[in-house]
Amino acid sequence: MFNMNARPAALRDFRGGNEMLVVGSVGFIGDANGVVYVYVTEPFARTLASRMLGLAEAELDNHEMVNDVIGELSNMIVGAVKSRLCDSGVPCVLTIPSIVRGQNVSAEPALGSECRLLGVLCDTEPILLEILMKRSK
Amino acid sequence: MSTKILTVDDSRTIRMIIQRAFRLHDCTLCQAANGEEGLMVAAREKPDLIILDITMPVMDGMTMLTKLKENPELKDIPVIMLTAESGRDSVLKISQIGVQDYLVKPFKEDQLVEKVSRIIALQVKAPMASTA
Repeated sequence: MFNMNARPAALRDFRGGNEMLVVGSVGFIGDANGVVYVYVTEPFARTLASRMLGLAEAELDNHEMVNDVIGELSNMIVGAVKSRLCDSGVPCVLTIPSIVRGQNVSAEPALGSECRLLGVLCDTEPILLEILMKRSK
Repeated sequence: MSTKILTVDDSRTIRMIIQRAFRLHDCTLCQAANGEEGLMVAAREKPDLIILDITMPVMDGMTMLTKLKENPELKDIPVIMLTAESGRDSVLKISQIGVQDYLVKPFKEDQLVEKVSRIIALQVKAPMASTA
């Protein structure tokens, strides 16, 4: 859908800088509870939207199309996580994606939850995944 | 008469991609953003096939599929699930309710067209006549 080569990469945490970020989040609820945040820079979010929709970046409307693409990307990533959890005997369901935009964005884990950060390189652009998870049982 | 396909997905992006996937085919695409709206459009438009997401607000795809199969007027409309969820339990549950096929996101447009064309006859659009 994006025609890009994605691979795990050494983590470059770009959350604390001045770059404008688009952050998608999808939660999972059940025997495991958590949220996955998908951080991308705003220019890369526009590139992803342009590739996915087959439109020139100039054709993208203000925020709605880009937000929807990042929401859908988050849904696909967390859908894969959810499927693995369910196949491992940890049933859960997904929540609807939501989007946050801004600079210096970060999520703080609640007491008792685990946090993992993963880096992914899409061609040359980084995507940062933050997984906050609490096991119910 | 052209083929009618109903897309039920809360993502405008996915609805646009599906529309683009069938641009070369003689078919009409109807859209709905959740299961409740999907049932209303299905009853009104009587589509030849439904492409259905699972996780949606208001009414999810699993509930819509169950209600569709309970409705004598709609139960024979073939359904392809298009979803980010590929877990064994999810696939098993959906297949028990009754779907024709299943496609996991991310997907390629030609994969979707191929799956649809296995279920309903798709006609390629006639080329536009040249006025030159």
